[in-house]
Amino acid sequence: MMELEALQEIDSEVRSLGVRMLIITPELERYTRGVHRKLQLTFDVLTDLHLKTAAQFGLVFTLPDYLRDLYKSFGSTLDRFHDETEYRLPMPARYIIDSRSIIRAADVNADYTIRPEASETVRLLKELASSESVPKLDKKDSE
Amino acid sequence: MSKLRDRLEEFKTTFESGDPPYNATPEVVATMHQATAELKASGIENTALRAGDRAPDFTLFNQDHVEVASKDLLRQGPLVVSFFRGHW
Repeated sequence: MMELEALQEIDSEVRSLGVRMLIITPELERYTRGVHRKLQLTFDVLTDLHLKTAAQFGLVFTLPDYLRDLYKSFGSTLDRFHDETEYRLPMPARYIIDSRSIIRAADVNADYTIRPEASETVRLLKELASSESVPKLDKKDSE
Repeated sequence: MSKLRDRLEEFKTTFESGDPPYNATPEVVATMHQATAELKASGIENTALRAGDRAPDFTLFNQDHVEVASKDLLRQGPLVVSFFRGHW
């Protein structure tokens, strides 16, 4: 939640750079709707049913039994949140993807208490924008 | 605006202190540390997609049950995609 709040703080700046933000989560729509409203987010929160997209990014892991029991005792019933009996989660990750679908920056951490800083994302986007606007002087020669 | 890192660190300190509202026992804290260490040791960070890789296309429903296709959005510009574990 803190991460989503931090992203909300940079959304208008990100949009001014011509970039859109998306959140991908294994949670069903009945949960994403609540989060979206509560935090008054101006970007979409997408439901990645059964973690299919997270798996394509190589981010999915299964919680060990002992952690599953602990989370259940906290009331985090992932089987209900995700509509599946496996307790699987995506690693926290942030990707910057350019308009040709190439990943330009990736921040992935197995330690879920560490999240990419929103200000760092803005810095990377500005860097990307300036590198893309450099005129390609050699283009004519290579054609 | 405080940094996210500071806010997360503050939460972690409160949680691991065992104080209310979380009242986490030392055993709970140790269990969570163990799980994170095991995940890191599994090497999963090295198998995730990274800079230079091609991002898979995806079409998913948003919070209002509207289908969102990454291809459509990428035609208009770059995307920042964050994977989020959940509201809990």
